[in-house]
Amino acid sequence: MAVEDFRLTSEPYYLPITDEIELFETAYANNVPVLLKGPTGCGKTRFVEYMSWRLHNHLGDKATEGVPLITVACHEDLTASDLVGRYLLEGEETRWIDGPITRAVKTGAICYLDEIVEARKDTTVLIHPLTDYRRLLPIDKRGELLEAAPGFLLVLSYNPGYQSALKDLKHSTRQRFIAIEFKYPPREQEAQIIQVESGCSTDMAEELAKLAEKVRNLREHGLAEGVSTRLLVYAGKLIANGISPRRACQVAVVWGLTDDVEVQQSIEEVVTSIFPE
Amino acid sequence: MSVADTLADRYDAELQSHGVGLRDEFLEAARELESMLTPEDFEVWAERGAALASQSLRSWEAAVEFFRASPEVSRLIPFDLLVRWSESAERLSTESPLVAAAYLRATPAVVQALPADPDFDIGIQGENITQQTIIRTDLDSWAQAGERLHQGNWKSIALTVLFFDESPKIFSGLSMPQVDQLVDVLVVLAERSYQLATTCLEASGALFEELDFHDREPFLQFAAALSRSSWADTRLYFERGPELVSRIEREQRGAFLQLAARVVQSAGRQGFPHFLETASAMGDVPVNEHETMMRLAQYLARRSPVAAMAFLRSVPFVLTRITSEQLEQWVEPGARLLFDEGNIEGAEAYFKMQSTRAEGTLASLSARVELGSIHGLLRMYAKALTGSTISIRSTEELVDRGIGWVQQSMATTEGTSIFLPPFVGSFPEQPSNFQSYKVFTTHQTGRIEFGSFHYQWGVDGVYAPASVAERLPDAPQRERDAITDMERFFDLFEVRDLIASLFTVVEDTRVDAAVSREYRGITPWLHRLQSIEAERRPDARSMSLRSAFVESMLRSSLGRRDAIRWPKDLMEAMGTALGALAVVEEPNATVQDSAEVAGALYDIAVSMPNIRNPYNDEDWEEPPSDFGEQAQMPGGMGQSERELPEDSEEQEFEVPAQPEFRGDFKPELVQLLSRLRDQASGEAGEGETLSSDQVMDALSKSSEVGFPDASEGDMAASMGQFLSNLEKEAAAAAKAKQQRDQNGEESDGEGGGDEGGSSDKGPEITWTYYDEWDFRASDYRPRWCRVGERTGEEGTLDYYQDTLQKHHGLVVETRRQFELMRPETFRRIKRLEDGEEIDLDRAIEFIVDKRAGVGPLAQVYWRRNKVDRDVAVAFLMDMSASTDEEVEKPRSGDRTDGSFQGDPRNYFQWLAERRAKQISEAPKRIIDLEKESLVLIAEALEAIGDSYGIYGFSGYGRDNVEFHVIKDLAEQFGDQVRKRIDKVQPVRSTRMGPAIRHTIAKMEKYDAKAKILILVSDGRPQDHGYGRDRTEKEYAVHDTHQALLEAKRVGITPFLITVDKEGHDYLKDMCSDVGYEVVDDIEQLPRRLTSLYRVLSAE
Ligand SMILES: Nc1ncnc2c1ncn2[C@@H]1O[C@H](COP(=O)(O)OP(=O)(O)O)[C@@H](O)[C@H]1O
Ligand SMILES: [Mg+2]
Repeated sequence: MAVEDFRLTSEPYYLPITDEIELFETAYANNVPVLLKGPTGCGKTRFVEYMSWRLHNHLGDKATEGVPLITVACHEDLTASDLVGRYLLEGEETRWIDGPITRAVKTGAICYLDEIVEARKDTTVLIHPLTDYRRLLPIDKRGELLEAAPGFLLVLSYNPGYQSALKDLKHSTRQRFIAIEFKYPPREQEAQIIQVESGCSTDMAEELAKLAEKVRNLREHGLAEGVSTRLLVYAGKLIANGISPRRACQVAVVWGLTDDVEVQQSIEEVVTSIFPE
Repeated sequence: MSVADTLADRYDAELQSHGVGLRDEFLEAARELESMLTPEDFEVWAERGAALASQSLRSWEAAVEFFRASPEVSRLIPFDLLVRWSESAERLSTESPLVAAAYLRATPAVVQALPADPDFDIGIQGENITQQTIIRTDLDSWAQAGERLHQGNWKSIALTVLFFDESPKIFSGLSMPQVDQLVDVLVVLAERSYQLATTCLEASGALFEELDFHDREPFLQFAAALSRSSWADTRLYFERGPELVSRIEREQRGAFLQLAARVVQSAGRQGFPHFLETASAMGDVPVNEHETMMRLAQYLARRSPVAAMAFLRSVPFVLTRITSEQLEQWVEPGARLLFDEGNIEGAEAYFKMQSTRAEGTLASLSARVELGSIHGLLRMYAKALTGSTISIRSTEELVDRGIGWVQQSMATTEGTSIFLPPFVGSFPEQPSNFQSYKVFTTHQTGRIEFGSFHYQWGVDGVYAPASVAERLPDAPQRERDAITDMERFFDLFEVRDLIASLFTVVEDTRVDAAVSREYRGITPWLHRLQSIEAERRPDARSMSLRSAFVESMLRSSLGRRDAIRWPKDLMEAMGTALGALAVVEEPNATVQDSAEVAGALYDIAVSMPNIRNPYNDEDWEEPPSDFGEQAQMPGGMGQSERELPEDSEEQEFEVPAQPEFRGDFKPELVQLLSRLRDQASGEAGEGETLSSDQVMDALSKSSEVGFPDASEGDMAASMGQFLSNLEKEAAAAAKAKQQRDQNGEESDGEGGGDEGGSSDKGPEITWTYYDEWDFRASDYRPRWCRVGERTGEEGTLDYYQDTLQKHHGLVVETRRQFELMRPETFRRIKRLEDGEEIDLDRAIEFIVDKRAGVGPLAQVYWRRNKVDRDVAVAFLMDMSASTDEEVEKPRSGDRTDGSFQGDPRNYFQWLAERRAKQISEAPKRIIDLEKESLVLIAEALEAIGDSYGIYGFSGYGRDNVEFHVIKDLAEQFGDQVRKRIDKVQPVRSTRMGPAIRHTIAKMEKYDAKAKILILVSDGRPQDHGYGRDRTEKEYAVHDTHQALLEAKRVGITPFLITVDKEGHDYLKDMCSDVGYEVVDDIEQLPRRLTSLYRVLSAE
């Protein structure tokens, strides 16, 4: 896993919703770690990718290298060692392998820990010294203390939708980040995103965005977050490729959201109200 | 001297001895008979008469009748029969001369009523002959029939006399064998009650005459069966039977009665009510269906007459859902149960419509869509479309609650609820009916989504600027200022109905246009319904001009400008109007535009006098097709009056009926309601609160607030009623909102339950329906029980505090034990690559493996995982009347006889002590122990912090299961709960099943990892109708068991604690697969309950 792999080769499409670009740029310039808060599939990852590209262009001198982005999708079994690195056995020998955080710290990359609450609690311990102004990463097993290279920024994403006492971000962690809040984009912007991303017609994209708005009204009915922009893009792609809109929404939106039959039915009724046969 | 006189002289002495009149009677008869009889026969006749007269002391009374009847009788029957007749009379007379007299007296009429004996008089033919044979020869059988009634006592004599008196009437309807059957019935009845037998006999004459000839025999058969199984009902049967039977198709009556007779034999006392219900049910079905019904019933009756009768009873209901052609299909699954599976009980439940299967079959056959079945779906649909919580309610409720603006049950909305018809069945296919519902709903949500209720005074529309300022100077004077903006707008116009109905049409046009634009998927159905409605519209030519004008606007708004017919002469105005109406179909048009367009249309409308159609039919035309193509507000107000025939009279404006799918629209009332709501919830903000007078005034202006047949005086009263209903609604809505805000959850009819009407006084009750398990049918009875949830009444705090004091020790002890449970339990997670500590076993294994050259993962660590307690428990307390029983004290305080050591003083002393104790300390009842347990539980659970709910249940019958909330799961513990515990008291019966189901429903909505339901009871489940009869216990036990299993199925651990010492026998059945415990020493209940809880919640 070379850090270079994470360099973007073309500009990702990102439609700014509010002032998030400005906020992020300023934070980056000032080494202020960022927490991206928002439901899944609303554009957080895309935003970080885009920012990494954008910052790369701004730092004209690094034009060929850019600001690399190292993304870690956190999961339940992710431990501190996974992030920092570990010794591997090679015959009777052992060899040290850098983890993604260490790599980011060394190369001055943006380190994006996606869905941080999914990770084990002990990982957050690593995060704290990195967010101090000295930006240090302790590597216990080697007895090292790394200082982050310029350009390094820690970015976390966090989905408040999963609010459960067990999986909440610790207060002491929260307190170290500025939080940029993401919501699903408003109807018109979301339509634009869907259109560009899926290649479906503008009209169709607008209808999909309308559907999203309606379905999100049902949030309390077991649909924790409502349909994500990502799913809508999927639906748009299916439609653009000749699947009928009702069917596309059924597979991309209705079934994905819930197992509750009654809720499913009511969403299907919304779908059939919006999309003609 | 004639032969008769000689004869009279001869018998003179004999006859005289019985009284003066007898001789005269004899003489009179003899004179008539003289010419009819041969001398020998004449002689015989006289002899028989004399013999009868002298037979006993009072037999002369019979003889009188003999003489009187003889001439007539001998004209009708041959002499040998006459002799037999006199013999019968003699025989009767030995038992009772009165009876004999009645027999003789009735004879001429009876003989005439009887058809002639075919052997005796050939040439008489007719319908009756075949059935009623050997008749005139039957005088003796008739006498014998009477004799059977005679039992020697006075009551029986009276009955027998009545029998003969009534005989002429009876024989006009019945044959001799049938009369015998009737007598059979009377004999059985007379054994029970002469009174009853008499009444039935009295009714018989008229009754059988009324009955069709063919029905008489089966009618009697049923009577015979009934008299044996349920004699007391016979009278009612004689009274009402013929009328009921007459409503059944002629050909089917006999079969029906025979079937009923079979059932009555097996059903006992229930038989007759079933007969009544079934017969009247058949009467409710058109007679042309009866043949099919009876054919199916007879088919079922081969195995179960009860099922057959139940089937007939269910038909009227079933036919409201499916067509008669489908009836057979509906019978099929039930018949399979009956014949193939041999599940007779199941089949009977099926045909009684007491099984989910029956309901399910019906639903799948029926094209009709019930609101109840799609209620939840539509609620979410409405929520999705509008973004706000909207409850879906039946228009029936609207009418019931007296808040309907009109009497008809029209779809409508008042901004937070959408009222829809209870079912839609206009199309032959179910999907179409469902689509209709969807269109109904979408139109109503459209009103909410597109802001129909948000008219604001003086705000410009997107296409039409506000004209209120220009209109204001010409506005009519109003006594009071308008309360809402909408009303204020309407107040600008002279004719309220006209502006209101125009606004309705315009706004509905706008909403439909917006719906079509936004929801293109539903547009085809919207158009379809619009078109259907347009076809149904009444002829505009029969209306007065202004109504015809509104009607034209309505057709245009239904997308059918082609259906408009309008006078040629006024066509220009129509052009302007259609152009104006088209304005609101433009994208982004708002309710402000609608108001302006309505105002413009009003101006056009009032420019014509509201007279009856002054034109010939040919002068009405379809407007040119380009009319209305161009949206265009008319320039300037105030159209000039048009010239129209002078002579016609101005009519009152009549509002054309609304299309069904749009339903009712009363924006001014909705605005009013929403102000009242704000007022009730204290959100009134600026503006003073409304007085009742103000509201009344506003209501009376809304002319269509209809009250059924209201006269002037009633009107005021109904208005007051309407108002208080409105206020109640508003208050309820505000309260619900507050609760929602507090709980952060919706409280609107969750769990598929219907909210019934709440009563005016007493606690607020929400009703929910639950199925009940019928173990015989192995099926649920759908929506069988109705559970009414209410918040427990509050008493005082004293009880709680006293209990705490009294059991101080126990309380402290339990709290302490519970607190021990509080620390988070730790669970070790092993096999980790990294962790708190090394797991020695695994480390050794790892090293060995490594040496061996295998490369296992170094999963040698373990770590503690903190687990938070996340337990919710519901305590369900039996509050049935039996908990009122005193708890038997353990014997320790008692002393046996022996311990008095034969000294009476010891005994008296003990007695005195006991009395003193009883005075100071009221005997403890089961309920008291339950209550003490509650106190203890509350204390303990507060210490541990688990969520818990405390509920009590009781009730009477399946319709009224009371469910008392002492503490809801989400509710904070506090004084209100303490006070409610005080008021826990024994009420009525124990229908456990529905109470458990309701608790399950509540727990399901509550989020916790572990859920426990503890049922505390004093004995077996018991309730009115909770089983086949009062003594049957199985049904209740099975249903309770089923309910407990339902709990398990959804992840709730049920546990049952009972203090019923005899409980073991049924508990095993009721709690198979479910934990239970019998607390022997019930004083231990509080202690046991808490310790049990610890065990249960530990895992
Ligand atoms: N503002 C946006 N601009 C462009 N694409 C977006 C935007 N928001 C969402 N998307 C689309 O949604 C998809 C999911 O977004 P993603 O960033 O993966 O979500 P998240 O990381 O929040 O779960 C993206 O692949 C992209 O197609
Ligand atoms: Mg992502």
